[in-house]
Amino acid sequence: MRVRVLIPLLVIVLYGVVPFALAGNNYVMSILVAALIIAGVALAWALLGNLGGMVSFGHAAFFGVGSYISAIVTMKLGVPVFAAMLLGGAGAAVAAVAVLPALRLSGPYFALAVLAYAHIFKILATEFTTITGGAGGILGIPTLPRVLGYDFGSKVGGYLVIVTIVLLFALVYARIRNSYYGYALRAMHDSEDATRVVGVHSTLLKALMLFLSAFMTGVVGAFNAHCINFLEPDYAFSSGWTMLPVVAAIFGGYRTLTGPLVGAVVVYTVDQLVFKSLIPSGHQIIFGVLLGVMILFAPDGLIPLLAKKLQWVRQPRGCRDPRTESVC
Amino acid sequence: MKSILRQIVALLLLLAPGLSTADAKEFLLGAELPLTGSLARVGNGTLEGITVGVEIFNRHNPSHKVKLVTIDDESSPAKAVAAVEKLASQGVVAITGGYGSNIIGPASDAANKAGLVYMTSGGVGNELTARGLKHFFRTNGSAGYTKAMAGLFTDMGIKSVSIVYSTKEATTELANDVAKAMRARKAKVAMHPFDPTITDFKPIINKVKLQDRSEAIAMVGYENDYVGILRAAKVLRPATVKAVVGVWSLATPKMAADFPDLMPNVYGTAMLPYPAGFRTAEGKEFADSYKRLYRKEPDYLGQFGYVQAQILCEAIKRADAKGTLAKGGLADEVRRTRLNTLIGQVAFDKNGDNPLFQQRMGQHQNGRIIIVWPKESATGKMNYPAVPW
Repeated sequence: MRVRVLIPLLVIVLYGVVPFALAGNNYVMSILVAALIIAGVALAWALLGNLGGMVSFGHAAFFGVGSYISAIVTMKLGVPVFAAMLLGGAGAAVAAVAVLPALRLSGPYFALAVLAYAHIFKILATEFTTITGGAGGILGIPTLPRVLGYDFGSKVGGYLVIVTIVLLFALVYARIRNSYYGYALRAMHDSEDATRVVGVHSTLLKALMLFLSAFMTGVVGAFNAHCINFLEPDYAFSSGWTMLPVVAAIFGGYRTLTGPLVGAVVVYTVDQLVFKSLIPSGHQIIFGVLLGVMILFAPDGLIPLLAKKLQWVRQPRGCRDPRTESVC
Repeated sequence: MKSILRQIVALLLLLAPGLSTADAKEFLLGAELPLTGSLARVGNGTLEGITVGVEIFNRHNPSHKVKLVTIDDESSPAKAVAAVEKLASQGVVAITGGYGSNIIGPASDAANKAGLVYMTSGGVGNELTARGLKHFFRTNGSAGYTKAMAGLFTDMGIKSVSIVYSTKEATTELANDVAKAMRARKAKVAMHPFDPTITDFKPIINKVKLQDRSEAIAMVGYENDYVGILRAAKVLRPATVKAVVGVWSLATPKMAADFPDLMPNVYGTAMLPYPAGFRTAEGKEFADSYKRLYRKEPDYLGQFGYVQAQILCEAIKRADAKGTLAKGGLADEVRRTRLNTLIGQVAFDKNGDNPLFQQRMGQHQNGRIIIVWPKESATGKMNYPAVPW
């Protein structure tokens, strides 16, 4: 019942209140857009971890591939920006095919293998100079377009686009999680062999989750390219596009649906708007300490902590393990 | 009665400086710079010069007070854009700073959208000025570096040169321009691009030694690249090479102090000798103020930062006098700038570039940096032929 109230309320706030309340403040809007970009990647990373059972240290690869493809097809082929963003996502999913051999690995081995793939993609972007501009990068990437008289290239327009992307991805994530495939994927966490015995094609499901996660990350990367209007391999494939979303997801509670989103928004906006005002240079130290405290005292993350404190979530039967109850 | 009068006069005298400050018109000048992250060293160096520039302007212009508002862009494009937007919301009249084309590009786009003048000395790529932004200005383009490097080679009488360059945008452009200039002077040119991530330069230097057999090595990269190239050259000792010449961030006191075994006789672009020596009254005032504020000798970053701030402060004052500052007239006023500054002549073309900019070349000699090119600015003789090994 509460979810039925909360979701429309959230949609009203995100689409009806935030754009009007902050329309005159480009600074806060740009911080919010940057936070939502991280939220999108954090959600994609958490999806792969929760449903695919894979911890990735290389999501920067999909982010970079998506951003480069979108930038190139708009600039060289004249593809409209929104279509190019989808192509960026599709390109990232195709690039994930290269990662398929790593599905044979698990745990830290998979994480490190994906990290290596990210580095390979960065080198490719540097070496294919005629297409990508090489290490010099690409300047003047088209911004988000004007559609039916509304300028999506404005700060509010960009916010509306990224908030829509993130909410759609969250909806897809929720649908999959509550489907039969979601149950099968989560069952694989406990015993992959057991799920295979009952007829679950575990490798196929894991591959599909990898493609979906790569697609989501690629679309977000493409959006970022059209916001910043500049790309170079060091920036597009920066490890920051992996590490910050991972930190945000863990801070918010990566096993929950809302944790990565809330974590990214809290981590980025509080750091930039509050901590940076207090300590203009070196403010990250406050957040570092806060993150350490959080991991020590509330390892499940912010959302499960709040849920416990406020008793918003009814505990279903069988969820006795405090580390997993939020995904039940 | 007399004592009361004396007290009133004394009180007025005490309050006088305060009154004059209160009467001064205050203008906010934004500074968006990388103070942390990978570009922190250049960002902080530039900020020091900007601060000195603002301090000297305020001292000379009691009726105008420029207040500097600084935001760290953390060497990140997205945070640079946010910094520009925050500065715009705080009511700054212009923005100075920025380093690296990847940061200057989006940040100056955001400033242009906000109708704010954006002045930099930290990006030499041609794409920045090719955009034709009305509010974008920079004091130094790659042409000034090309003139200096090619000019030095010409004065040396170099007939063959191997250009070892990073594949970054700015370095590639500069390397190609130097190659073009040297070919026009009938010199033999060999090009050796390298990926910015490589650290072992021995294969390239081996090609220079065995294949090119050039008289000079031109290095177009950044600090770590120079160190890698020089280490490789010191190991392989290409016998035909008579001079090793680089560009920015090389002829600096820091490089002399950090790599005393690699730097002797190496050339790099440098506006200042080290220890710094100024002949003009303006230069001496800059150096004195810099030493007083930071207790060290000024370097080239401080010099560029100072000039950025100087140009903007003077333009703000002129635009205010004409009443055009609030009407977006600052860009036009900056474009009218004709100044002989510490980095030479400054005048901007329609794209905001300074075509009059020309670098000088310095050489590391016994822990000092001697300006050796052009002749009219030289502070000593060049050691030639001479190499670090």
